[in-house]
Amino acid sequence: MEHEKINECVIMKDLYYSVEDNTWIRVNEDGSVTVGMTDIAQNLAGPILHAKAKSAGTDRKKGKPIATVESGKWVGPVKSPISGVITEVNEKLVGDAQLINRSPYRDGWVVKMKPESLEAELKELVTGDNAVAAYKTKIEHDNIKACTHIEGSDTYE
Amino acid sequence: MALDLSTNKYADVSYEEKERLFAEVKADARWNHVMYGCYECGICVAACPSARFYDFSPRVIAQAAAREDVDLVYTLMNDSVWDCSQCFSCDRCPRQNSPGQIITIMREVAVKNGLKTAKQALEGYGRIIYKIMSTGTQVSPDMLQPNAFPDWGGHVKEISDNLEVWRKALPPETLHTTETGWQITDKTIVELYLIWHMTGVMKLIEGVDEGLFMILVDVMEERLADAGYDDVSFD
Repeated sequence: MEHEKINECVIMKDLYYSVEDNTWIRVNEDGSVTVGMTDIAQNLAGPILHAKAKSAGTDRKKGKPIATVESGKWVGPVKSPISGVITEVNEKLVGDAQLINRSPYRDGWVVKMKPESLEAELKELVTGDNAVAAYKTKIEHDNIKACTHIEGSDTYE
Repeated sequence: MALDLSTNKYADVSYEEKERLFAEVKADARWNHVMYGCYECGICVAACPSARFYDFSPRVIAQAAAREDVDLVYTLMNDSVWDCSQCFSCDRCPRQNSPGQIITIMREVAVKNGLKTAKQALEGYGRIIYKIMSTGTQVSPDMLQPNAFPDWGGHVKEISDNLEVWRKALPPETLHTTETGWQITDKTIVELYLIWHMTGVMKLIEGVDEGLFMILVDVMEERLADAGYDDVSFD
């Protein structure tokens, strides 16, 4: 899959990003969306100990938390990039939260959602080269350190 | 980092704003019991452990406050107050000043007003606050991670890799947990949530760390609703 690396941080070009909240969505064929954390987010958090998602059936507005992620000293929300209902939670994260560190864009997805008004909200997210450019600016502006990847992480070559 | 008092570092912040914040400090009910006037004897500095290791001086805090140096108080509120360990060793002042308690008030004003430096200073404590406020116990054993506590030395990895086993080896059953310090009763945690709700603590947190506020509200509202307090809202 086409991607770009900025300061060793991977940006997948086929995903839609909320750059400010460091989350991505993938629009699936059945109209649902998969939501996850970016490579930059996993890097900032460090090795993740717990990722607790809200349960299926929870209705969330854009910007509200869909999961709580904890690493050694850090805790923070995964803010929903869209409004909708959570339809599925990634159960693999319960016993292995570091799946987010190893595979932020594939196996480490957080929840799947049924979007409420996807068409309108997609316009507020960035994708492709625009996402790469937005992250380039963010990484420079926020002085984000180079992404590191723990053992067993996905490779993108 | 060295404390630079040679220039007015915060010249871009208006004098009126600095004056407003200092007025908030002086309006605190504790102020008249902790600030009497300083004659620079230096006893507080001699007793202060932070002064030995950082470019920090409780005397400078007391002096700036006593002289009502609005610019300097603002600089100290940003760049100095977080170097204090709040041990109150300075509470031996012959004039009964308490630089430590002056700092407590200055910190609270910095937090209430959402100063950027306060947010930065408290960033590293996010998970500790989350643990205390969501579970009712302080730090959790699983904080012992090699990246979080490198100062523990090489064996911290071995401890964290086998943490569940170590914890199960402890005799009291209430300690057989890695996610909280010990088990807390439902009654206690509900009472804590209500106290934090009623005393405005949650509003303070919202001003410093919105993400932390969001996830705490999620946890608290759900548990309070289960306990019959479904009319409690943090909005």
